[in-house]
Amino acid sequence: MHYFETLKYVFHVIFHPFDGFWDLKHEKKGSVAAALTFVVLTIITLAIEKQETAFLFNKNKLSELNVLVDIITVALVFILWCVANWCTTSLMDGKGKMVEIVTAIGYAVFPIPLIRLPLVFFSHFVTMDEGAFIKVFGIVSLIWAGMLVFFATSVIHEYSIKKTVVTVLITILGMGILMFIGLLFFNVIEQMINFVLTIYKEIRFR
Amino acid sequence: MKKHFKFYKLILASLALSFLFGVNSYASEPFESYSYNYWKLAVRQPYPYLYDKTFDEKDFETKLSFPDDMFFYDDSIFVADTGNSRILKLDLNGKVLMEIDSAKSKSDKLNEPRGVYVTDEGNIYVADSKNARVVEFTKDGEFVREIGRPDTTLIASNVEYKPMKVVVDKDGRIYVIAYGINMGLVEFDRDGNFQGFMGAAEVTVNKFYYIWKNFLSTKEQQERMQTIVPTEYSNIFVDKENFVYATINGLTGDEINAEKDCIRRLNPTGTDVLRRLGPPIVGDLRFSQDNWSSFKDVAATDYGCYFVLDDANGKVFTYDYDGNSLFIFGRSGIKEGNVQKPVSLVINKDASKIYVLDGVLGNIVSYKITDYGKLVLNAILLNDTGDSEGSNACWQEVLKRNSNCEMAYIGLGKTLLSEGDYKKAMEYFKLGNNRKYYSKAFYYYRKEVMEKNFGKIMAVIIVVVLGLLAVKGYARIKKWVGEVKCTTLKH
Repeated sequence: MHYFETLKYVFHVIFHPFDGFWDLKHEKKGSVAAALTFVVLTIITLAIEKQETAFLFNKNKLSELNVLVDIITVALVFILWCVANWCTTSLMDGKGKMVEIVTAIGYAVFPIPLIRLPLVFFSHFVTMDEGAFIKVFGIVSLIWAGMLVFFATSVIHEYSIKKTVVTVLITILGMGILMFIGLLFFNVIEQMINFVLTIYKEIRFR
Repeated sequence: MKKHFKFYKLILASLALSFLFGVNSYASEPFESYSYNYWKLAVRQPYPYLYDKTFDEKDFETKLSFPDDMFFYDDSIFVADTGNSRILKLDLNGKVLMEIDSAKSKSDKLNEPRGVYVTDEGNIYVADSKNARVVEFTKDGEFVREIGRPDTTLIASNVEYKPMKVVVDKDGRIYVIAYGINMGLVEFDRDGNFQGFMGAAEVTVNKFYYIWKNFLSTKEQQERMQTIVPTEYSNIFVDKENFVYATINGLTGDEINAEKDCIRRLNPTGTDVLRRLGPPIVGDLRFSQDNWSSFKDVAATDYGCYFVLDDANGKVFTYDYDGNSLFIFGRSGIKEGNVQKPVSLVINKDASKIYVLDGVLGNIVSYKITDYGKLVLNAILLNDTGDSEGSNACWQEVLKRNSNCEMAYIGLGKTLLSEGDYKKAMEYFKLGNNRKYYSKAFYYYRKEVMEKNFGKIMAVIIVVVLGLLAVKGYARIKKWVGEVKCTTLKH
């Protein structure tokens, strides 16, 4: 299928999640490229939101913003989720492949840019008192995306609701464990490098 | 040629002068001057007060021994010279005008008086700590009366009553801080009858800590843990409106982080009404250091600005009525103009001079206000009295000297807002980081723009709606034509 058509298909997915994710998996109506586009779009949304939201609703210190932080947070969570989910579901007879997980999750986060980008624009036209709806819609976008991730997991792996809940919980736990192992790995590598360096110095100076 | 030479000379002379008097005196100031902004960052600012003079034993012609309190009244300073068990009245050159060392008779000596207060009429109140009484004198030092231990069962009989500080409000109510009594200020009526306790420092117990202590610890552990008791006040000050400012001394970093009060403004019923709209009022906000600010004394102006003395770092913190950080200056140390163990702070009538009493060295350090400090205080005063034009002029001058002054931007913004220049007001509120007023200005600005461009906006909306309808209609017609063609073809 053409890239643009797979992009357009997201509007079907977010309004008809069960049908949409099923077709994503079985009819190949989506693409990894489109999914990654949505992730990048989310990163851009967060970066723009922090800088361009109107002064009234923007409590960020502009001189201390860093786009790298946005990129790393979103990308890290995305990658961690996909890996942890793939690890757990392959042990719990899930039917989804890695590619399918990445595609589905990419499509599932689309409500965030869809709602939040226009909110940035609208924030320039409202006062503090009228600003409550900005907060509400921001939260709605997160809940929507969260529910889509949940349905995606359920449909991709052909799980019941109950099993999906358990999987999601284990996946979150798995993300934590992955983080821990990652930190441990970096720490040990650092120690090893230090060790080799010290031995090298000892021999040099002898 | 000759003219040229003269000009050259003039420049040299003025340069020399400026180095001698202008630049040098600022650079050698023995402390820094800064304040905290919206982001809770310390921002340097021009000196609001400069070191003026130190009054020591040469000026007093006698030696102070561990003095503990000071009061400013009608161009004279009263000092509680605790170690020598006497009260001294000094003039503004430090000369002793009067000395009080006994009460009812010559033999009835004061014993370590720790607090002194003078009423508007000039009557002197002394907290005579070791004698467990508050003594009143006339302005000439004649004994009037004494108020002893409060007649109440609320203080256990084995607890010593030791008055540390005393103030009297405009209605004659007497408030006493007593050592070891943590139920708040001891309150007496104008006749000296015990009325009760006021403004007890609330105990807020951390739930986690409570469970940890009472259910999860062994007896030995429990004994080693601190018992949770309310903190005591370190000093008090009565302002024009009969509200009592009270400071709390020696809080730990954990307590400050848990948002315990370091200073309160108590109304006559004992409720804290201090406005906290700025950054937290805890002194320095550097949360990583160990020597936290520790408030020892406070003095307030009639228009709600208050000066708080920090005895841990020898600094003076100034806040306005809303709790914004105005000035921070002073330092503890051994240079001239530093203090070692400050115990008390007083200001004169127009806050143009600040006196800080050093309890260890037994001297008084005075600071005098600069043009910058005067402008800021004046702007706040004028705003308080409703003279927004005068206040505006002051803020303009302040901004010339310190473009980081958020309060000046907010002050100017408010005036612009009332004048109807909404766009400019928004700009100023943005610079001053005040979202509440920005929102207000923005509301009017939006209204103004909408009213001015109502026609254009409506025109755009109508065109867009019509355009959409036209596109839709065109598609429908096309579809209908197609259908008609199909049916005709079928036939």
